[in-house]
Amino acid sequence: MTTRAGELSPDEKKDPKNWTNRLRGRLEGLVPPGQALPDRQPVYVASWIYVFGVLTLTSLVVVIASGCVLSLGGVEWWHVTSLGHYTNSVHLWSVELTFGFMVIHLWGKFWMAAWRGKRAMTWMSGVLLFAISIGTSFTGFLSQSNFDSQWIAGQAKDGLNSVGIGAFFNVLNPGQMLLYHVVILPLVVGLLTLIHIILVRRHGVVPPLDADLEG
Amino acid sequence: MSALSIVAEGPGKYVNWGVIQISVANLTIIGVMILLFILALVVPFPTHDEQDDQEGHSR
Repeated sequence: MTTRAGELSPDEKKDPKNWTNRLRGRLEGLVPPGQALPDRQPVYVASWIYVFGVLTLTSLVVVIASGCVLSLGGVEWWHVTSLGHYTNSVHLWSVELTFGFMVIHLWGKFWMAAWRGKRAMTWMSGVLLFAISIGTSFTGFLSQSNFDSQWIAGQAKDGLNSVGIGAFFNVLNPGQMLLYHVVILPLVVGLLTLIHIILVRRHGVVPPLDADLEG
Repeated sequence: MSALSIVAEGPGKYVNWGVIQISVANLTIIGVMILLFILALVVPFPTHDEQDDQEGHSR
Protein backbone atom coordinates (compact mmCIF):
# COMPACT_ATOMS: atom_id res chain seq x y z
CA MET A 1 0.00 0.00 0.00
CA THR A 2 1.33 3.39 -0.87
CA THR A 3 0.80 6.09 1.72
CA ARG A 4 1.49 8.95 -0.63
CA ALA A 5 2.61 9.33 -4.22
CA GLY A 6 6.22 8.14 -4.44
CA GLU A 7 6.39 6.99 -0.81
CA LEU A 8 6.19 3.35 0.30
CA SER A 9 4.67 2.03 3.50
CA PRO A 10 7.13 0.45 6.01
CA ASP A 11 5.84 -3.05 5.12
CA GLU A 12 6.55 -2.53 1.44
CA LYS A 13 10.07 -1.27 2.19
CA LYS A 14 10.91 -4.56 3.95
CA ASP A 15 9.19 -6.95 1.54
CA PRO A 16 12.03 -9.30 0.45
CA LYS A 17 9.98 -10.68 -2.46
CA ASN A 18 9.95 -7.28 -4.10
CA TRP A 19 13.02 -7.21 -6.41
CA THR A 20 13.04 -3.40 -6.41
CA ASN A 21 13.47 -3.47 -2.62
CA ARG A 22 16.24 -6.02 -2.86
CA LEU A 23 18.01 -4.01 -5.57
CA ARG A 24 17.65 -0.79 -3.56
CA GLY A 25 19.09 -2.52 -0.51
CA ARG A 26 22.04 -3.76 -2.53
CA LEU A 27 22.72 -0.34 -4.08
CA GLU A 28 22.50 1.36 -0.66
CA GLY A 29 24.93 -1.18 0.77
CA LEU A 30 27.55 -0.87 -1.99
CA VAL A 31 29.64 1.59 0.00
CA PRO A 32 29.48 2.56 3.69
CA PRO A 33 27.37 5.66 4.45
CA GLY A 34 29.21 8.86 3.52
CA GLN A 35 31.97 7.05 1.63
CA ALA A 36 30.63 7.44 -1.91
CA LEU A 37 32.11 10.94 -2.26
CA PRO A 38 34.07 11.62 0.94
CA ASP A 39 35.56 15.06 1.55
CA ARG A 40 38.09 13.81 4.12
CA GLN A 41 40.72 11.09 3.87
CA PRO A 42 43.21 9.49 6.29
CA VAL A 43 46.33 11.64 6.71
CA TYR A 44 48.57 9.15 4.84
CA VAL A 45 46.61 9.88 1.64
CA ALA A 46 48.28 13.33 1.58
CA SER A 47 50.95 12.10 -0.86
CA TRP A 48 51.34 12.66 -4.59
CA ILE A 49 51.46 8.89 -5.19
CA TYR A 50 47.77 8.69 -4.25
CA VAL A 51 46.90 11.21 -6.97
CA PHE A 52 47.62 8.96 -9.95
CA GLY A 53 44.43 6.91 -9.68
CA VAL A 54 42.23 9.97 -10.08
CA LEU A 55 44.56 11.35 -12.79
CA THR A 56 43.95 8.11 -14.71
CA LEU A 57 40.22 8.53 -14.24
CA THR A 58 40.16 12.18 -15.39
CA SER A 59 42.25 11.48 -18.49
CA LEU A 60 39.93 8.53 -19.25
CA VAL A 61 37.02 10.99 -19.20
CA VAL A 62 38.85 13.08 -21.84
CA VAL A 63 39.47 9.90 -23.88
CA ILE A 64 35.76 9.03 -23.87
CA ALA A 65 34.62 12.61 -24.57
CA SER A 66 37.04 13.09 -27.50
CA GLY A 67 36.09 9.62 -28.80
CA CYS A 68 32.41 10.65 -28.79
CA VAL A 69 33.29 13.77 -30.80
CA LEU A 70 35.30 11.65 -33.28
CA SER A 71 32.36 9.28 -33.74
CA LEU A 72 30.18 12.23 -34.86
CA GLY A 73 32.32 12.86 -37.93
CA GLY A 74 32.79 9.30 -39.19
CA VAL A 75 35.85 7.16 -39.87
CA GLU A 76 37.62 9.54 -42.30
CA TRP A 77 36.77 12.85 -40.65
CA TRP A 78 39.95 13.08 -38.58
CA HIS A 79 42.09 12.84 -41.73
CA VAL A 80 40.45 15.57 -43.80
CA THR A 81 39.52 18.44 -41.45
CA SER A 82 41.61 20.51 -39.07
CA LEU A 83 39.04 20.10 -36.25
CA GLY A 84 38.99 16.36 -36.83
CA HIS A 85 42.78 16.24 -36.81
CA TYR A 86 42.86 18.23 -33.56
CA THR A 87 40.22 16.00 -31.92
CA ASN A 88 42.14 12.92 -33.07
CA SER A 89 45.28 14.31 -31.41
CA VAL A 90 43.36 15.04 -28.18
CA HIS A 91 42.10 11.45 -28.25
CA LEU A 92 45.60 10.04 -28.83
CA TRP A 93 47.39 12.11 -26.20
CA SER A 94 44.69 11.59 -23.56
CA VAL A 95 45.13 7.86 -24.13
CA GLU A 96 48.90 8.27 -23.72
CA LEU A 97 48.32 10.13 -20.45
CA THR A 98 45.76 7.55 -19.26
CA PHE A 99 48.23 4.72 -19.73
CA GLY A 100 51.14 6.69 -18.27
CA PHE A 101 49.16 7.59 -15.15
CA MET A 102 47.69 4.07 -14.94
CA VAL A 103 51.15 2.46 -14.97
CA ILE A 104 52.49 4.85 -12.29
CA HIS A 105 49.31 4.10 -10.27
CA LEU A 106 50.07 0.38 -10.75
CA TRP A 107 53.70 0.81 -9.60
CA GLY A 108 52.57 2.70 -6.50
CA LYS A 109 49.92 0.14 -5.59
CA PHE A 110 52.25 -2.80 -6.27
CA TRP A 111 55.02 -1.50 -4.00
CA MET A 112 52.55 -0.75 -1.20
CA ALA A 113 50.95 -4.23 -1.61
CA ALA A 114 47.54 -2.68 -2.17
CA TRP A 115 45.77 -6.06 -2.02
CA ARG A 116 46.13 -6.07 1.80
CA GLY A 117 43.09 -5.73 4.08
CA LYS A 118 40.53 -7.64 1.97
CA ARG A 119 41.37 -5.53 -1.08
CA ALA A 120 42.17 -8.49 -3.37
CA MET A 121 39.13 -7.84 -5.57
CA THR A 122 40.12 -4.17 -5.89
CA TRP A 123 43.57 -5.24 -7.06
CA MET A 124 42.25 -7.90 -9.45
CA SER A 125 39.65 -5.56 -10.96
CA GLY A 126 42.48 -3.09 -11.60
CA VAL A 127 44.61 -5.78 -13.26
CA LEU A 128 41.67 -6.81 -15.45
CA LEU A 129 40.97 -3.17 -16.29
CA PHE A 130 44.60 -2.68 -17.32
CA ALA A 131 44.45 -5.74 -19.63
CA ILE A 132 41.13 -4.73 -21.22
CA SER A 133 42.41 -1.17 -21.67
CA ILE A 134 45.37 -2.51 -23.66
CA GLY A 135 42.91 -4.42 -25.89
CA THR A 136 40.81 -1.28 -26.30
CA SER A 137 43.80 0.81 -27.36
CA PHE A 138 44.88 -2.00 -29.72
CA THR A 139 41.51 -1.87 -31.53
CA GLY A 140 41.96 1.92 -31.64
CA PHE A 141 45.25 1.50 -33.52
CA LEU A 142 43.37 -0.81 -35.91
CA SER A 143 40.67 1.84 -36.44
CA GLN A 144 42.90 4.68 -37.64
CA SER A 145 41.84 4.00 -41.27
CA ASN A 146 45.35 4.53 -42.64
CA PHE A 147 48.38 2.47 -43.70
CA ASP A 148 49.55 2.26 -40.08
CA SER A 149 46.37 0.42 -39.04
CA GLN A 150 46.70 -1.91 -42.05
CA TRP A 151 50.31 -2.70 -41.15
CA ILE A 152 49.41 -3.37 -37.48
CA ALA A 153 46.54 -5.66 -38.56
CA GLY A 154 48.85 -7.54 -40.91
CA GLN A 155 51.40 -8.01 -38.13
CA ALA A 156 48.81 -9.07 -35.53
CA LYS A 157 46.73 -11.54 -37.54
CA ASP A 158 49.17 -14.46 -37.50
CA GLY A 159 49.68 -14.39 -33.76
CA LEU A 160 45.96 -14.13 -33.01
CA ASN A 161 45.04 -16.77 -35.61
CA SER A 162 47.61 -19.19 -34.20
CA VAL A 163 45.74 -19.25 -30.87
CA GLY A 164 42.28 -19.44 -32.47
CA ILE A 165 41.14 -15.93 -31.60
CA GLY A 166 40.92 -14.92 -35.27
CA ALA A 167 37.76 -17.01 -35.71
CA PHE A 168 35.70 -14.39 -33.88
CA PHE A 169 38.13 -11.45 -33.55
CA ASN A 170 39.37 -10.68 -37.06
CA VAL A 171 41.91 -7.85 -37.03
CA LEU A 172 41.72 -7.64 -40.84
CA ASN A 173 38.06 -6.59 -40.55
CA PRO A 174 38.21 -2.82 -39.83
CA GLY A 175 34.43 -2.59 -39.32
CA GLN A 176 34.49 -5.24 -36.61
CA MET A 177 37.54 -3.66 -34.94
CA LEU A 178 35.92 -0.21 -34.99
CA LEU A 179 32.74 -1.53 -33.35
CA TYR A 180 34.78 -3.37 -30.72
CA HIS A 181 36.63 -0.10 -30.12
CA VAL A 182 33.63 2.22 -29.84
CA VAL A 183 30.94 -0.02 -28.32
CA ILE A 184 31.87 -3.31 -26.64
CA LEU A 185 35.27 -2.53 -25.12
CA PRO A 186 34.38 0.99 -23.84
CA LEU A 187 31.33 -0.52 -22.13
CA VAL A 188 33.53 -3.16 -20.47
CA VAL A 189 36.15 -0.56 -19.49
CA GLY A 190 33.42 1.74 -18.11
CA LEU A 191 31.81 -1.07 -16.10
CA LEU A 192 35.15 -2.29 -14.72
CA THR A 193 36.13 1.29 -13.82
CA LEU A 194 32.85 1.68 -11.92
CA ILE A 195 33.40 -1.64 -10.08
CA HIS A 196 37.01 -0.64 -9.29
CA ILE A 197 35.97 2.74 -7.86
CA ILE A 198 33.12 1.21 -5.82
CA LEU A 199 35.56 -1.34 -4.37
CA VAL A 200 38.04 1.44 -3.50
CA ARG A 201 35.27 3.42 -1.77
CA ARG A 202 33.96 0.26 -0.10
CA HIS A 203 37.26 -0.84 1.45
CA GLY A 204 38.96 2.55 1.68
CA VAL A 205 42.36 3.65 0.39
CA VAL A 206 45.11 1.20 1.30
CA PRO A 207 47.42 2.50 4.08
CA PRO A 208 51.21 2.53 3.61
CA LEU A 209 53.03 -0.63 4.76
CA ASP A 210 54.51 0.96 7.87
CA ALA A 211 51.11 2.41 8.89
CA ASP A 212 49.62 -1.09 8.58
CA LEU A 213 52.34 -2.59 10.78
CA GLU A 214 51.79 0.05 13.45
CA GLY A 215 48.05 -0.42 13.33
CA MET B 1 66.32 17.70 -37.54
CA SER B 2 64.05 19.33 -34.98
CA ALA B 3 63.56 17.91 -31.48
CA LEU B 4 59.92 17.11 -32.32
CA SER B 5 60.90 14.83 -35.19
CA ILE B 6 62.34 12.35 -32.65
CA VAL B 7 58.83 11.45 -31.54
CA ALA B 8 56.67 12.56 -34.47
CA GLU B 9 58.29 11.76 -37.80
CA GLY B 10 60.92 9.69 -39.56
CA PRO B 11 62.05 6.12 -38.98
CA GLY B 12 63.08 6.82 -35.39
CA LYS B 13 66.24 6.06 -33.49
CA TYR B 14 66.72 2.83 -31.60
CA VAL B 15 68.87 1.76 -28.69
CA ASN B 16 70.27 -1.76 -28.91
CA TRP B 17 71.39 -3.45 -25.70
CA GLY B 18 71.83 -7.22 -26.13
CA VAL B 19 68.43 -8.73 -26.90
CA ILE B 20 66.72 -5.47 -25.93
CA GLN B 21 65.85 -3.04 -28.72
CA ILE B 22 63.82 0.04 -27.84
CA SER B 23 63.13 3.34 -29.58
CA VAL B 24 64.58 6.49 -28.07
CA ALA B 25 61.01 7.90 -27.86
CA ASN B 26 59.74 4.95 -25.82
CA LEU B 27 62.86 4.92 -23.64
CA THR B 28 62.39 8.66 -22.97
CA ILE B 29 58.74 8.15 -21.98
CA ILE B 30 59.66 5.30 -19.60
CA GLY B 31 62.39 7.52 -18.11
CA VAL B 32 59.92 10.38 -17.57
CA MET B 33 57.43 7.97 -15.95
CA ILE B 34 60.08 6.64 -13.54
CA LEU B 35 61.08 10.24 -12.73
CA LEU B 36 57.40 11.12 -12.06
CA PHE B 37 57.08 8.07 -9.81
CA ILE B 38 60.13 9.06 -7.76
CA LEU B 39 58.98 12.69 -7.54
CA ALA B 40 55.53 11.54 -6.37
CA LEU B 41 57.22 9.71 -3.49
CA VAL B 42 59.62 12.45 -2.38
CA VAL B 43 57.89 15.76 -3.16
CA PRO B 44 55.80 16.85 -0.13
CA PHE B 45 52.06 17.11 -0.71
CA PRO B 46 50.60 20.53 0.14
CA THR B 47 48.31 20.45 3.18
CA HIS B 48 46.11 23.31 4.33
CA ASP B 49 45.19 22.59 7.93
CA GLU B 50 47.51 21.30 10.65
CA GLN B 51 44.51 20.48 12.83
CA ASP B 52 43.43 17.91 10.25
CA ASP B 53 46.80 16.17 10.57
CA GLN B 54 46.42 15.95 14.33
CA GLU B 55 43.00 14.32 13.91
CA GLY B 56 44.43 11.80 11.48
CA HIS B 57 42.53 13.15 8.52
CA SER B 58 43.30 15.41 5.63
CA ARG B 59 41.15 17.35 3.20
